[in-house]
Amino acid sequence: MTAAAPRPRSSSWHVVEYNLAAARSFWTSMLVVGVATPMLYVLALGVGLGRVVDRHGTGQLGVPYLVFVAPAFLTAAALQIAAGDGSFPVMAGFKWQRFFFGMAATPLTSVQICVGHMLWVTLRAFVNSALYLAVLAAFGGARTWTVLLAVPAATLTGIAFAAPVMAVAASVNSESGIFNVLFRFVVTPMFLFSGTFYPISTLPEWGRWLAYVSPLWHGTELARDSAIGGLSGPAVLGHVAYLLLWLVVGAVLAMWRFRVRLTK
Amino acid sequence: MPRAETDMIDPASAPDAALITARALTKRFGTFTAVDGIDFEVRRGEAFGFLGPNGAGKSSTMRMIGCVAPVTSGRLSILGMDPATQGPQIRARLGVVPQQDTLDTELRVRENLYIYGRYFGMRRAELTAKVDELLEFAQLSDRAKSKVEPLSGGMKRRLTIARSLINDPEILLLDEPTTGLDPQARHVLWDRLYRLKQSGVTLVLTTHYMDEAEQLCDRLVVMDGGRIVAEGSPFSLIADHSTREVAELRFGPTHNGEAARRLASVITGERERVEELPDRVLLYVHDGEDALRRSHEIGLSPISSLVRRSTLEDVFLRLTGRSLID
Repeated sequence: MTAAAPRPRSSSWHVVEYNLAAARSFWTSMLVVGVATPMLYVLALGVGLGRVVDRHGTGQLGVPYLVFVAPAFLTAAALQIAAGDGSFPVMAGFKWQRFFFGMAATPLTSVQICVGHMLWVTLRAFVNSALYLAVLAAFGGARTWTVLLAVPAATLTGIAFAAPVMAVAASVNSESGIFNVLFRFVVTPMFLFSGTFYPISTLPEWGRWLAYVSPLWHGTELARDSAIGGLSGPAVLGHVAYLLLWLVVGAVLAMWRFRVRLTK
Repeated sequence: MPRAETDMIDPASAPDAALITARALTKRFGTFTAVDGIDFEVRRGEAFGFLGPNGAGKSSTMRMIGCVAPVTSGRLSILGMDPATQGPQIRARLGVVPQQDTLDTELRVRENLYIYGRYFGMRRAELTAKVDELLEFAQLSDRAKSKVEPLSGGMKRRLTIARSLINDPEILLLDEPTTGLDPQARHVLWDRLYRLKQSGVTLVLTTHYMDEAEQLCDRLVVMDGGRIVAEGSPFSLIADHSTREVAELRFGPTHNGEAARRLASVITGERERVEELPDRVLLYVHDGEDALRRSHEIGLSPISSLVRRSTLEDVFLRLTGRSLID
Protein backbone atom coordinates (compact mmCIF):
# COMPACT_ATOMS: atom_id res chain seq x y z
CA MET A 1 0.00 0.00 0.00
CA THR A 2 1.36 3.39 -0.94
CA ALA A 3 0.09 5.12 2.18
CA ALA A 4 2.07 2.96 4.56
CA ALA A 5 1.57 5.15 7.60
CA PRO A 6 3.41 3.98 10.70
CA ARG A 7 1.31 2.80 13.57
CA PRO A 8 0.68 5.70 15.95
CA ARG A 9 2.53 5.75 19.27
CA SER A 10 -0.68 5.65 21.28
CA SER A 11 -0.77 2.99 23.98
CA SER A 12 -2.78 1.70 26.91
CA TRP A 13 -0.48 3.63 29.21
CA HIS A 14 -2.10 6.87 28.02
CA VAL A 15 -5.42 5.65 29.47
CA VAL A 16 -3.63 5.19 32.80
CA GLU A 17 -2.30 8.73 32.47
CA TYR A 18 -5.85 9.99 32.06
CA ASN A 19 -6.90 8.20 35.23
CA LEU A 20 -3.91 9.56 37.14
CA ALA A 21 -4.81 13.09 36.06
CA ALA A 22 -8.51 12.59 36.82
CA ALA A 23 -7.67 11.16 40.26
CA ARG A 24 -5.43 14.09 41.18
CA SER A 25 -8.28 15.93 42.84
CA PHE A 26 -8.96 13.03 45.20
CA TRP A 27 -5.49 11.64 45.74
CA THR A 28 -5.56 12.83 49.33
CA SER A 29 -8.85 11.12 50.06
CA MET A 30 -7.55 7.97 48.34
CA LEU A 31 -4.53 7.96 50.63
CA VAL A 32 -6.59 8.64 53.74
CA VAL A 33 -9.02 5.83 52.87
CA GLY A 34 -6.11 3.57 51.96
CA VAL A 35 -4.52 4.07 55.38
CA ALA A 36 -7.57 4.56 57.61
CA THR A 37 -9.48 1.49 56.43
CA PRO A 38 -6.82 -1.04 57.40
CA MET A 39 -6.28 0.78 60.70
CA LEU A 40 -9.95 0.45 61.59
CA TYR A 41 -10.05 -3.22 60.65
CA VAL A 42 -6.82 -4.03 62.42
CA LEU A 43 -7.96 -2.25 65.58
CA ALA A 44 -11.49 -3.66 65.65
CA LEU A 45 -10.92 -7.22 64.52
CA GLY A 46 -7.24 -7.88 64.89
CA VAL A 47 -6.72 -6.25 68.23
CA GLY A 48 -10.28 -6.33 69.67
CA LEU A 49 -11.61 -9.65 68.46
CA GLY A 50 -8.06 -11.00 68.32
CA ARG A 51 -7.74 -10.70 72.12
CA VAL A 52 -10.83 -12.86 72.60
CA VAL A 53 -9.70 -15.46 70.10
CA ASP A 54 -6.13 -15.58 71.34
CA ARG A 55 -7.31 -15.97 74.97
CA HIS A 56 -9.04 -19.20 73.96
CA GLY A 57 -5.79 -20.47 72.57
CA THR A 58 -4.44 -20.07 69.05
CA GLY A 59 -3.67 -23.76 68.66
CA GLN A 60 -5.98 -24.17 65.72
CA LEU A 61 -4.59 -21.16 63.85
CA GLY A 62 -0.98 -21.53 64.95
CA VAL A 63 -0.44 -17.75 64.93
CA PRO A 64 -1.97 -14.74 66.70
CA TYR A 65 -5.38 -13.87 65.24
CA LEU A 66 -4.13 -10.52 63.88
CA VAL A 67 -1.49 -12.29 61.82
CA PHE A 68 -4.17 -14.69 60.61
CA VAL A 69 -6.80 -12.10 59.52
CA ALA A 70 -4.54 -9.26 58.36
CA PRO A 71 -3.50 -10.73 54.98
CA ALA A 72 -7.13 -11.68 54.33
CA PHE A 73 -8.27 -8.09 54.94
CA LEU A 74 -5.55 -6.85 52.68
CA THR A 75 -6.73 -9.14 49.87
CA ALA A 76 -10.40 -8.36 50.42
CA ALA A 77 -9.63 -4.64 50.33
CA ALA A 78 -7.79 -5.03 47.01
CA LEU A 79 -10.77 -6.91 45.58
CA GLN A 80 -13.26 -4.30 46.76
CA ILE A 81 -11.20 -1.39 45.42
CA ALA A 82 -10.77 -3.17 42.09
CA ALA A 83 -14.46 -4.09 41.85
CA GLY A 84 -15.34 -0.46 42.57
CA ASP A 85 -13.00 0.88 39.91
CA GLY A 86 -14.11 -1.77 37.44
CA SER A 87 -17.77 -0.81 37.78
CA PHE A 88 -18.72 2.85 38.30
CA PRO A 89 -15.89 4.51 36.35
CA VAL A 90 -16.55 2.18 33.40
CA MET A 91 -20.22 3.13 33.50
CA ALA A 92 -19.15 6.80 33.61
CA GLY A 93 -16.90 6.31 30.61
CA PHE A 94 -19.69 4.88 28.49
CA LYS A 95 -22.74 6.62 29.89
CA TRP A 96 -22.31 9.56 32.21
CA GLN A 97 -19.21 11.37 30.95
CA ARG A 98 -18.63 9.29 27.83
CA PHE A 99 -14.85 9.75 27.95
CA PHE A 100 -14.28 6.30 26.37
CA PHE A 101 -15.95 7.62 23.20
CA GLY A 102 -13.56 10.56 23.22
CA MET A 103 -10.64 8.13 23.44
CA ALA A 104 -12.10 5.95 20.67
CA ALA A 105 -11.95 8.90 18.25
CA THR A 106 -8.15 8.98 18.65
CA PRO A 107 -5.71 6.34 17.40
CA LEU A 108 -6.41 4.35 20.58
CA THR A 109 -8.18 1.06 19.82
CA SER A 110 -10.99 -0.40 21.90
CA VAL A 111 -8.58 -3.09 23.13
CA GLN A 112 -6.04 -0.47 24.22
CA ILE A 113 -8.77 1.47 26.03
CA CYS A 114 -9.98 -1.67 27.82
CA VAL A 115 -6.47 -2.84 28.70
CA GLY A 116 -5.56 0.68 29.81
CA HIS A 117 -8.44 0.73 32.27
CA MET A 118 -7.40 -2.70 33.54
CA LEU A 119 -3.87 -1.42 34.08
CA TRP A 120 -5.27 1.45 36.09
CA VAL A 121 -7.37 -0.91 38.23
CA THR A 122 -4.29 -3.07 38.74
CA LEU A 123 -2.23 -0.07 39.78
CA ARG A 124 -4.89 1.02 42.27
CA ALA A 125 -5.12 -2.47 43.79
CA PHE A 126 -1.33 -2.61 44.02
CA VAL A 127 -0.89 0.78 45.70
CA ASN A 128 -3.73 0.09 48.11
CA SER A 129 -2.26 -3.30 49.04
CA ALA A 130 1.18 -1.81 49.63
CA LEU A 131 -0.32 0.86 51.92
CA TYR A 132 -2.30 -1.80 53.73
CA LEU A 133 0.81 -3.86 54.30
CA ALA A 134 2.67 -0.84 55.64
CA VAL A 135 -0.10 -0.23 58.21
CA LEU A 136 -0.18 -3.91 59.17
CA ALA A 137 3.56 -3.97 59.65
CA ALA A 138 3.26 -0.95 61.92
CA PHE A 139 0.77 -2.84 64.11
CA GLY A 140 2.80 -6.02 64.27
CA GLY A 141 0.78 -7.90 61.65
CA ALA A 142 3.82 -8.80 59.53
CA ARG A 143 6.21 -11.48 60.72
CA THR A 144 8.28 -12.68 57.77
CA TRP A 145 9.68 -11.01 54.70
CA THR A 146 7.57 -13.30 52.46
CA VAL A 147 4.57 -11.22 53.57
CA LEU A 148 5.64 -8.87 50.76
CA LEU A 149 4.22 -11.47 48.36
CA ALA A 150 0.78 -10.73 49.77
CA VAL A 151 0.84 -7.50 47.75
CA PRO A 152 1.11 -9.11 44.28
CA ALA A 153 -1.27 -11.87 45.42
CA ALA A 154 -3.91 -9.32 46.42
CA THR A 155 -3.31 -7.28 43.26
CA LEU A 156 -3.86 -10.36 41.10
CA THR A 157 -7.04 -11.18 43.04
CA GLY A 158 -8.31 -7.65 42.51
CA ILE A 159 -7.83 -7.50 38.76
CA ALA A 160 -9.00 -11.11 38.30
CA PHE A 161 -12.34 -10.16 39.80
CA ALA A 162 -12.50 -6.67 38.28
CA ALA A 163 -12.03 -7.90 34.68
CA PRO A 164 -15.43 -9.66 34.43
CA VAL A 165 -17.00 -6.77 36.39
CA MET A 166 -15.71 -4.44 33.66
CA ALA A 167 -17.31 -6.67 31.04
CA VAL A 168 -20.67 -6.32 32.84
CA ALA A 169 -20.27 -2.56 33.34
CA ALA A 170 -19.52 -2.14 29.64
CA SER A 171 -22.67 -4.09 28.72
CA VAL A 172 -25.36 -2.41 30.79
CA ASN A 173 -27.07 0.73 29.63
CA SER A 174 -28.56 1.92 32.89
CA GLU A 175 -27.23 1.39 36.36
CA SER A 176 -30.61 0.11 37.65
CA GLY A 177 -29.20 -1.52 40.75
CA ILE A 178 -26.87 -3.95 39.01
CA PHE A 179 -23.88 -2.72 40.99
CA ASN A 180 -25.88 -2.86 44.23
CA VAL A 181 -26.59 -6.51 43.51
CA LEU A 182 -22.93 -7.04 42.69
CA PHE A 183 -21.68 -5.54 45.94
CA ARG A 184 -24.40 -6.84 48.26
CA PHE A 185 -24.88 -10.33 46.90
CA VAL A 186 -21.46 -11.14 45.44
CA VAL A 187 -18.69 -9.04 46.98
CA THR A 188 -19.95 -9.03 50.58
CA PRO A 189 -20.84 -12.78 50.79
CA MET A 190 -17.50 -13.53 49.19
CA PHE A 191 -15.84 -11.53 51.97
CA LEU A 192 -17.76 -13.52 54.60
CA PHE A 193 -17.31 -17.01 53.15
CA SER A 194 -13.78 -16.97 51.72
CA GLY A 195 -11.89 -17.88 54.85
CA THR A 196 -11.34 -14.26 55.81
CA PHE A 197 -12.22 -14.59 59.50
CA TYR A 198 -11.82 -18.36 60.00
CA PRO A 199 -10.28 -21.30 58.14
CA ILE A 200 -12.82 -22.74 55.71
CA SER A 201 -12.18 -26.18 57.22
CA THR A 202 -14.69 -25.14 59.88
CA LEU A 203 -17.42 -24.79 57.22
CA PRO A 204 -19.73 -27.63 56.12
CA GLU A 205 -18.96 -29.06 52.72
CA TRP A 206 -21.31 -26.76 50.74
CA GLY A 207 -19.67 -23.76 52.39
CA ARG A 208 -16.23 -24.99 51.44
CA TRP A 209 -17.33 -25.25 47.82
CA LEU A 210 -18.52 -21.65 47.94
CA ALA A 211 -15.00 -20.74 48.97
CA TYR A 212 -13.34 -22.88 46.32
CA VAL A 213 -15.32 -21.10 43.61
CA SER A 214 -14.63 -17.64 45.03
CA PRO A 215 -11.50 -15.97 43.64
CA LEU A 216 -11.16 -14.19 46.97
CA TRP A 217 -10.51 -17.47 48.84
CA HIS A 218 -7.67 -18.34 46.46
CA GLY A 219 -6.19 -14.88 46.85
CA THR A 220 -6.61 -14.99 50.64
CA GLU A 221 -4.86 -18.37 50.83
CA LEU A 222 -1.95 -17.01 48.80
CA ALA A 223 -1.66 -13.88 50.94
CA ARG A 224 -2.07 -15.74 54.21
CA ASP A 225 0.48 -18.38 53.32
CA SER A 226 2.88 -15.59 52.36
CA ALA A 227 2.33 -13.90 55.72
CA ILE A 228 2.52 -17.01 57.88
CA GLY A 229 5.26 -18.63 55.83
CA GLY A 230 3.41 -21.73 54.67
CA LEU A 231 3.79 -21.36 50.90
CA SER A 232 3.77 -24.68 49.10
CA GLY A 233 4.48 -25.04 45.40
CA PRO A 234 1.45 -27.04 44.19
CA ALA A 235 -1.02 -24.97 46.25
CA VAL A 236 0.46 -21.71 44.98
CA LEU A 237 0.30 -22.94 41.39
CA GLY A 238 -3.32 -24.00 41.84
CA HIS A 239 -4.42 -20.69 43.35
CA VAL A 240 -2.53 -18.60 40.79
CA ALA A 241 -3.86 -20.71 37.92
CA TYR A 242 -7.45 -20.28 39.13
CA LEU A 243 -7.03 -16.51 39.49
CA LEU A 244 -5.40 -16.29 36.05
CA LEU A 245 -8.36 -18.17 34.61
CA TRP A 246 -10.70 -15.50 36.00
CA LEU A 247 -8.41 -12.78 34.69
CA VAL A 248 -8.08 -14.20 31.17
CA VAL A 249 -11.75 -15.05 30.72
CA GLY A 250 -12.77 -11.72 32.25
CA ALA A 251 -10.31 -9.75 30.11
CA VAL A 252 -11.47 -11.43 26.90
CA LEU A 253 -15.11 -10.70 27.78
CA ALA A 254 -14.30 -7.10 28.72
CA MET A 255 -12.37 -6.45 25.50
CA TRP A 256 -15.25 -7.90 23.52
CA ARG A 257 -17.84 -5.73 25.31
CA PHE A 258 -15.66 -2.60 24.94
CA ARG A 259 -15.32 -3.26 21.21
CA VAL A 260 -19.07 -3.79 20.75
CA ARG A 261 -19.84 -0.60 22.67
CA LEU A 262 -17.22 1.60 21.03
CA THR A 263 -17.46 0.46 17.40
CA LYS A 264 -21.12 0.20 16.43
CA MET B 1 -13.33 -5.17 -0.90
CA PRO B 2 -11.59 -4.51 -4.21
CA ARG B 3 -8.17 -4.53 -2.62
CA ALA B 4 -6.17 -4.44 -5.84
CA GLU B 5 -7.78 -1.16 -6.79
CA THR B 6 -6.97 0.58 -3.50
CA ASP B 7 -3.45 -0.80 -3.56
CA MET B 8 -2.55 0.85 -6.84
CA ILE B 9 -3.81 4.38 -6.37
CA ASP B 10 -3.33 6.79 -3.53
CA PRO B 11 -5.93 9.46 -4.17
CA ALA B 12 -4.65 11.60 -1.31
CA SER B 13 -1.30 12.21 -2.94
CA ALA B 14 -2.59 13.83 -6.13
CA PRO B 15 -3.23 17.59 -5.98
CA ASP B 16 -6.88 18.58 -5.75
CA ALA B 17 -7.71 14.92 -5.23
CA ALA B 18 -10.37 13.41 -3.03
CA LEU B 19 -9.39 12.92 0.61
CA ILE B 20 -12.49 10.86 1.22
CA THR B 21 -14.11 8.64 -1.38
CA ALA B 22 -17.26 6.63 -0.77
CA ARG B 23 -18.78 4.20 -3.27
CA ALA B 24 -22.06 2.41 -2.55
CA LEU B 25 -21.31 3.03 1.13
CA THR B 26 -23.81 1.15 3.29
CA LYS B 27 -24.42 0.85 7.03
CA ARG B 28 -26.94 -1.58 8.47
CA PHE B 29 -27.91 -2.24 12.08
CA GLY B 30 -29.60 -5.63 11.96
CA THR B 31 -32.39 -5.24 9.43
CA PHE B 32 -32.40 -1.43 9.60
CA THR B 33 -30.47 0.30 6.84
CA ALA B 34 -29.11 3.60 8.17
CA VAL B 35 -26.98 4.46 5.13
CA ASP B 36 -28.19 3.03 1.85
CA GLY B 37 -25.44 2.86 -0.75
CA ILE B 38 -24.24 6.47 -1.02
CA ASP B 39 -21.46 7.89 -3.23
CA PHE B 40 -19.54 11.06 -2.48
CA GLU B 41 -16.11 12.60 -2.57
CA VAL B 42 -14.56 15.21 -0.32
CA ARG B 43 -11.65 17.17 -1.78
CA ARG B 44 -8.72 18.68 0.06
CA GLY B 45 -9.40 22.10 1.55
CA GLU B 46 -13.14 22.21 1.00
CA ALA B 47 -15.96 22.42 3.51
CA PHE B 48 -18.36 19.59 2.81
CA GLY B 49 -21.75 19.30 4.48
CA PHE B 50 -24.26 16.54 5.11
CA LEU B 51 -27.75 17.98 5.46
CA GLY B 52 -30.80 16.02 6.40
CA PRO B 53 -33.55 15.49 8.94
CA ASN B 54 -32.99 13.33 12.03
CA GLY B 55 -32.50 9.70 11.09
CA ALA B 56 -31.31 10.52 7.56
CA GLY B 57 -28.04 8.64 8.13
CA LYS B 58 -25.73 11.64 8.63
CA SER B 59 -24.27 10.56 11.95
CA SER B 60 -23.80 6.96 10.82
CA THR B 61 -21.90 8.25 7.81
CA MET B 62 -19.77 10.48 10.05
CA ARG B 63 -19.01 7.56 12.36
CA MET B 64 -17.86 5.46 9.43
CA ILE B 65 -15.60 8.31 8.24
CA GLY B 66 -14.33 8.65 11.82
CA CYS B 67 -13.35 4.96 11.71
CA VAL B 68 -15.39 4.09 14.78
CA ALA B 69 -18.23 2.32 12.98
CA PRO B 70 -17.39 -0.52 10.61
CA VAL B 71 -18.65 -0.25 7.02
CA THR B 72 -21.34 -2.86 6.26
CA SER B 73 -20.70 -2.87 2.51
CA GLY B 74 -19.38 -0.65 -0.24
CA ARG B 75 -16.05 1.10 -0.38
CA LEU B 76 -14.72 3.87 1.81
CA SER B 77 -11.26 5.34 1.44
CA ILE B 78 -9.95 8.05 3.76
CA LEU B 79 -6.58 9.72 3.09
CA GLY B 80 -5.89 6.82 0.74
CA MET B 81 -6.35 4.26 3.50
CA ASP B 82 -8.92 1.61 4.33
CA PRO B 83 -10.71 2.19 7.65
CA ALA B 84 -11.19 -1.55 8.15
CA THR B 85 -7.47 -2.20 8.41
CA GLN B 86 -5.88 1.18 9.14
CA GLY B 87 -8.31 2.77 11.58
CA PRO B 88 -5.66 3.97 14.06
CA GLN B 89 -3.49 5.45 11.28
CA ILE B 90 -6.48 7.31 9.81
CA ARG B 91 -7.73 8.51 13.20
CA ALA B 92 -4.25 9.89 13.89
CA ARG B 93 -4.89 12.41 11.11
CA LEU B 94 -8.54 13.23 11.87
CA GLY B 95 -10.13 15.65 14.30
CA VAL B 96 -13.56 14.75 15.64
CA VAL B 97 -16.17 17.06 17.17
CA PRO B 98 -18.95 14.71 18.25
CA GLN B 99 -22.60 15.66 18.50
CA GLN B 100 -22.52 15.15 22.27
CA ASP B 101 -19.54 16.59 24.13
CA THR B 102 -17.22 13.92 25.53
CA LEU B 103 -15.10 16.32 27.58
CA ASP B 104 -13.51 14.98 30.73
CA THR B 105 -15.33 16.78 33.50
CA GLU B 106 -12.87 15.38 36.06
CA LEU B 107 -10.09 17.35 34.35
CA ARG B 108 -9.39 21.07 34.10
CA VAL B 109 -9.68 22.88 30.77
CA ARG B 110 -5.94 22.74 30.02
CA GLU B 111 -5.66 19.09 31.11
CA ASN B 112 -8.44 18.15 28.71
CA LEU B 113 -6.26 19.27 25.82
CA TYR B 114 -3.04 17.88 27.24
CA ILE B 115 -4.36 14.40 28.05
CA TYR B 116 -6.14 14.21 24.69
CA GLY B 117 -2.86 14.96 22.94
CA ARG B 118 -1.27 12.10 24.85
CA TYR B 119 -3.88 9.74 23.34
CA PHE B 120 -2.28 10.59 19.99
CA GLY B 121 1.12 9.63 21.39
CA MET B 122 2.30 13.26 21.32
CA ARG B 123 5.27 14.16 23.49
CA ARG B 124 4.98 16.36 26.56
CA ALA B 125 7.29 19.04 25.18
CA GLU B 126 5.44 19.51 21.89
CA LEU B 127 2.08 19.47 23.70
CA THR B 128 2.85 22.34 26.06
CA ALA B 129 3.18 24.86 23.23
CA LYS B 130 0.30 23.35 21.25
CA VAL B 131 -2.09 23.53 24.21
CA ASP B 132 -1.38 27.25 24.73
CA GLU B 133 -1.89 27.95 21.05
CA LEU B 134 -5.25 26.14 21.02
CA LEU B 135 -6.47 27.81 24.21
CA GLU B 136 -5.74 31.11 22.49
CA PHE B 137 -7.56 29.99 19.33
CA ALA B 138 -10.60 28.87 21.32
CA GLN B 139 -10.56 32.10 23.37
CA LEU B 140 -10.22 30.08 26.55
CA SER B 141 -6.75 31.17 27.71
CA ASP B 142 -8.09 32.82 30.86
CA ARG B 143 -10.06 29.65 31.66
CA ALA B 144 -7.09 27.29 31.36
CA LYS B 145 -7.17 26.26 35.02
CA SER B 146 -10.93 26.28 35.39
CA LYS B 147 -13.05 23.17 35.77
CA VAL B 148 -15.05 22.05 32.75
CA GLU B 149 -18.45 21.72 34.42
CA PRO B 150 -19.21 25.44 35.02
CA LEU B 151 -18.28 26.46 31.44
CA SER B 152 -21.09 27.73 29.20
CA GLY B 153 -22.34 25.60 26.32
CA GLY B 154 -20.43 27.74 23.81
CA MET B 155 -17.20 27.47 25.80
CA LYS B 156 -17.52 23.70 26.09
CA ARG B 157 -18.08 23.49 22.36
CA ARG B 158 -15.00 25.65 21.69
CA LEU B 159 -13.00 23.45 24.04
CA THR B 160 -14.20 20.37 22.16
CA ILE B 161 -13.12 21.96 18.89
CA ALA B 162 -9.75 22.97 20.37
CA ARG B 163 -9.32 19.40 21.60
CA SER B 164 -10.11 18.00 18.16
CA LEU B 165 -7.30 20.14 16.71
CA ILE B 166 -4.59 18.92 19.09
CA ASN B 167 -3.06 16.59 16.46
CA ASP B 168 -3.17 19.17 13.61
CA PRO B 169 -5.77 17.10 11.74
CA GLU B 170 -6.01 17.19 7.96
CA ILE B 171 -9.74 16.52 8.13
CA LEU B 172 -12.03 17.88 10.83
CA LEU B 173 -15.33 16.03 11.33
CA LEU B 174 -18.05 18.12 12.98
CA ASP B 175 -21.35 16.47 13.90
CA GLU B 176 -23.92 19.24 14.43
CA PRO B 177 -21.30 21.63 15.80
CA THR B 178 -23.60 24.45 16.93
CA THR B 179 -26.77 22.64 17.99
CA GLY B 180 -28.04 24.10 21.25
CA LEU B 181 -25.90 27.24 21.22
CA ASP B 182 -27.12 30.83 21.37
CA PRO B 183 -26.63 33.07 18.29
CA GLN B 184 -23.53 34.80 19.70
CA ALA B 185 -21.82 31.51 20.45
CA ARG B 186 -22.74 30.16 17.00
CA HIS B 187 -21.22 33.16 15.23
CA VAL B 188 -18.00 32.86 17.25
CA LEU B 189 -17.80 29.19 16.30
CA TRP B 190 -18.48 29.87 12.64
CA ASP B 191 -15.68 32.43 12.67
CA ARG B 192 -13.25 29.90 14.18
CA LEU B 193 -14.29 27.22 11.66
CA TYR B 194 -13.89 29.68 8.81
CA ARG B 195 -10.35 30.44 9.96
CA LEU B 196 -9.55 26.73 10.06
CA LYS B 197 -10.80 26.36 6.54
CA GLN B 198 -8.63 29.30 5.46
CA SER B 199 -5.63 27.56 6.97
CA GLY B 200 -6.26 24.54 4.76
CA VAL B 201 -8.13 22.16 7.06
CA THR B 202 -10.77 20.12 5.24
CA LEU B 203 -14.09 20.39 7.06
CA VAL B 204 -16.79 17.72 6.95
CA LEU B 205 -19.89 18.62 8.90
CA THR B 206 -23.46 17.62 9.48
CA THR B 207 -26.11 20.12 10.36
CA HIS B 208 -29.80 20.73 10.15
CA TYR B 209 -29.33 24.46 10.33
CA MET B 210 -29.63 25.81 6.81
CA ASP B 211 -27.95 29.10 7.67
CA GLU B 212 -24.99 27.13 9.00
CA ALA B 213 -24.76 25.14 5.80
CA GLU B 214 -24.95 28.34 3.72
CA GLN B 215 -22.30 30.01 5.90
CA LEU B 216 -19.80 27.21 5.98
CA CYS B 217 -20.22 24.72 3.16
CA ASP B 218 -18.66 24.93 -0.28
CA ARG B 219 -20.49 21.83 -1.26
CA LEU B 220 -23.13 19.73 0.39
CA VAL B 221 -25.35 16.72 -0.03
CA VAL B 222 -28.91 16.44 1.22
CA MET B 223 -29.65 13.05 2.77
CA ASP B 224 -33.04 11.50 3.39
CA GLY B 225 -33.81 7.96 4.47
CA GLY B 226 -30.19 6.88 4.14
CA ARG B 227 -29.80 8.13 0.57
CA ILE B 228 -28.36 11.23 -1.05
CA VAL B 229 -31.22 13.11 -2.69
CA ALA B 230 -29.32 16.17 -3.94
CA GLU B 231 -25.78 17.43 -4.21
CA GLY B 232 -24.14 20.75 -5.04
CA SER B 233 -23.11 24.14 -3.70
CA PRO B 234 -25.70 26.00 -1.62
CA PHE B 235 -26.21 28.36 -4.56
CA SER B 236 -26.60 25.64 -7.18
CA LEU B 237 -28.97 23.64 -4.98
CA ILE B 238 -31.24 26.67 -4.70
CA ALA B 239 -31.00 27.24 -8.44
CA ASP B 240 -31.74 23.59 -9.21
CA HIS B 241 -34.46 22.83 -6.70
CA SER B 242 -36.21 26.08 -5.93
CA THR B 243 -37.11 29.38 -7.56
CA ARG B 244 -35.36 32.70 -7.16
CA GLU B 245 -37.97 34.16 -4.84
CA VAL B 246 -40.79 33.11 -2.53
CA ALA B 247 -43.92 35.13 -1.83
CA GLU B 248 -45.65 34.30 1.44
CA LEU B 249 -49.31 35.26 1.57
CA ARG B 250 -51.68 35.00 4.54
CA PHE B 251 -55.42 34.95 3.98
CA GLY B 252 -56.54 33.72 7.39
CA PRO B 253 -56.84 30.03 8.27
CA THR B 254 -60.20 29.40 6.60
CA HIS B 255 -59.39 31.13 3.32
CA ASN B 256 -55.91 29.76 2.52
CA GLY B 257 -57.23 26.70 0.69
CA GLU B 258 -59.48 28.59 -1.70
CA ALA B 259 -56.82 31.26 -2.29
CA ALA B 260 -54.24 28.61 -3.11
CA ARG B 261 -56.51 27.11 -5.79
CA ARG B 262 -57.11 30.49 -7.39
CA LEU B 263 -53.40 31.37 -7.23
CA ALA B 264 -52.59 28.45 -9.53
CA SER B 265 -53.33 30.79 -12.45
CA VAL B 266 -50.61 33.19 -11.30
CA ILE B 267 -47.96 30.49 -11.70
CA THR B 268 -46.44 30.39 -15.15
CA GLY B 269 -42.71 29.75 -15.19
CA GLU B 270 -40.64 26.61 -14.95
CA ARG B 271 -40.47 25.10 -11.43
CA GLU B 272 -42.84 27.77 -10.17
CA ARG B 273 -45.46 26.34 -7.81
CA VAL B 274 -48.00 27.04 -5.09
CA GLU B 275 -47.76 25.42 -1.68
CA GLU B 276 -50.61 25.59 0.79
CA LEU B 277 -49.73 25.51 4.48
CA PRO B 278 -52.16 25.70 7.41
CA ASP B 279 -51.26 29.33 8.14
CA ARG B 280 -50.15 30.69 4.77
CA VAL B 281 -49.75 30.13 1.03
CA LEU B 282 -46.29 30.07 -0.53
CA LEU B 283 -45.66 31.08 -4.12
CA TYR B 284 -42.37 29.80 -5.44
CA VAL B 285 -41.73 32.20 -8.32
CA HIS B 286 -39.00 34.01 -10.20
CA ASP B 287 -40.35 37.46 -9.36
CA GLY B 288 -42.19 37.73 -6.07
CA GLU B 289 -43.44 41.32 -6.42
CA ASP B 290 -44.83 40.53 -9.85
CA ALA B 291 -46.66 37.47 -8.49
CA LEU B 292 -48.09 39.62 -5.72
CA ARG B 293 -49.32 42.18 -8.22
CA ARG B 294 -50.98 39.46 -10.31
CA SER B 295 -52.68 37.96 -7.26
CA HIS B 296 -54.25 41.38 -6.62
CA GLU B 297 -55.34 41.46 -10.27
CA ILE B 298 -57.35 38.25 -9.85
CA GLY B 299 -59.08 39.83 -6.87
CA LEU B 300 -57.18 38.31 -3.96
CA SER B 301 -56.28 40.51 -1.03
CA PRO B 302 -54.06 38.79 1.52
CA ILE B 303 -54.06 39.98 5.14
CA SER B 304 -50.29 40.16 4.97
CA SER B 305 -47.66 39.39 2.40
CA LEU B 306 -43.89 39.08 2.25
CA VAL B 307 -41.46 38.52 -0.59
CA ARG B 308 -38.09 36.93 0.13
CA ARG B 309 -35.22 35.14 -1.58
CA SER B 310 -35.31 31.36 -1.76
CA THR B 311 -33.11 29.77 0.86
CA LEU B 312 -31.56 26.39 1.40
CA GLU B 313 -34.41 25.74 3.81
CA ASP B 314 -36.87 25.83 0.91
CA VAL B 315 -34.72 23.30 -0.95
CA PHE B 316 -34.44 21.15 2.15
CA LEU B 317 -38.17 21.09 2.84
CA ARG B 318 -38.90 20.49 -0.83
CA LEU B 319 -36.57 17.48 -0.90
CA THR B 320 -37.19 15.93 2.50
CA GLY B 321 -40.82 16.90 3.09
CA ARG B 322 -42.54 18.89 5.78
CA SER B 323 -43.78 16.04 7.94
CA LEU B 324 -42.11 15.55 11.30
CA ILE B 325 -39.53 12.81 11.54
CA ASP B 326 -39.11 11.64 15.11
